[in-house]
Amino acid sequence: MGMLIIIDQPPYGTWAGREALDMAFALAAFDQPTSLLFTGAGVNWLRKAQDTADIEQKSLEKNLAAAPIFGIEAILADRTACQRYNLNSEAMIDGVQLTNASADLLGQYSQTAFAG
Amino acid sequence: MNQLHTLHILNKTPDHPRFSECLGTLGPDDAVALTENGVLGLVASKALGLVQTYALESDLSARGLSDDNLEAATIDYSELVNLTLQAERVISW
Amino acid sequence: MTHSTPDSEKTSFTLVITGAPYSSQAPQTALSFAKATVAAGHTIDRVFLYGDGVHLASALVTAPSDETHWPKQWAAFLEEHEVPGVACIASALRRGLVDSHEQKRYQLGANNLLAPFAIAGLGEWVEGSIKSTRTIYFHAGA
Repeated sequence: MGMLIIIDQPPYGTWAGREALDMAFALAAFDQPTSLLFTGAGVNWLRKAQDTADIEQKSLEKNLAAAPIFGIEAILADRTACQRYNLNSEAMIDGVQLTNASADLLGQYSQTAFAG
Repeated sequence: MNQLHTLHILNKTPDHPRFSECLGTLGPDDAVALTENGVLGLVASKALGLVQTYALESDLSARGLSDDNLEAATIDYSELVNLTLQAERVISW
Repeated sequence: MTHSTPDSEKTSFTLVITGAPYSSQAPQTALSFAKATVAAGHTIDRVFLYGDGVHLASALVTAPSDETHWPKQWAAFLEEHEVPGVACIASALRRGLVDSHEQKRYQLGANNLLAPFAIAGLGEWVEGSIKSTRTIYFHAGA
């Protein structure tokens, strides 16, 4: 049992996803077992080679790469959403587990939250 | 009714992506509590009704829906509070 | 993460508001929920404002006289029931919500945090989600 933070917002153009990542890192900093689930447009966080210099924002690919160091237990991605956004395993950052956002998955966590 | 597993509080219209995301994760012992614009799902979505569905009376009446013959049990805030405690877990979509 | 059961002696809630007043119904739904919670004899451990929800703690919100003033309604509720109201510091600073301490620290021209709200880190939310029987989120709808 632990906490699942769901990110269903795209990485850029909105801040809700970043604030979700901050929540996950805060939980992990207090030694709470925490996993991240990317679903819907949120799976676009997981694409390799994000170059954000020209939009003057921090690269979320780099932020997310710190997740295991912060103690995030698992980075999960909804299989159907990955297909919808044409994100195959070659285009995806390392360390992502494909899954299905379902009652069974959510049932494995004591709490599930969105950032907004 | 069975033990309530997860209470899904849904405040989005059926046109919001999270409405279908929510419906896609419903288990057989779950319930949905429609609040705010979630209550519009009762007139626009055929996918509701697979699990026990509740709707906030104040949000139904604000939207002119309280007299309709809807497939949901109408609740007030005190009943919503009780539902969050009866459920093993609560997810706000 | 351990959870106390609903039948334990003291049932408590943490409420998290992420939707802003006047652009979402979230603060209003959360206040009705909070009032029903205390009316049923339960405790609210804290109310945590996150993301756009921090706008609820602005002392500069000015509603037309015929509209409900949600920040003042919330402030009155928190005072009456002695519930701590906390705005996330990172969300608050980005959105121009500061208390006198942050005003000094960043040498800003003014502060605008409505009493009795306080500004603090996400640790307050983590503690609430561990300690409270239930943590309920109020997001913007649409």
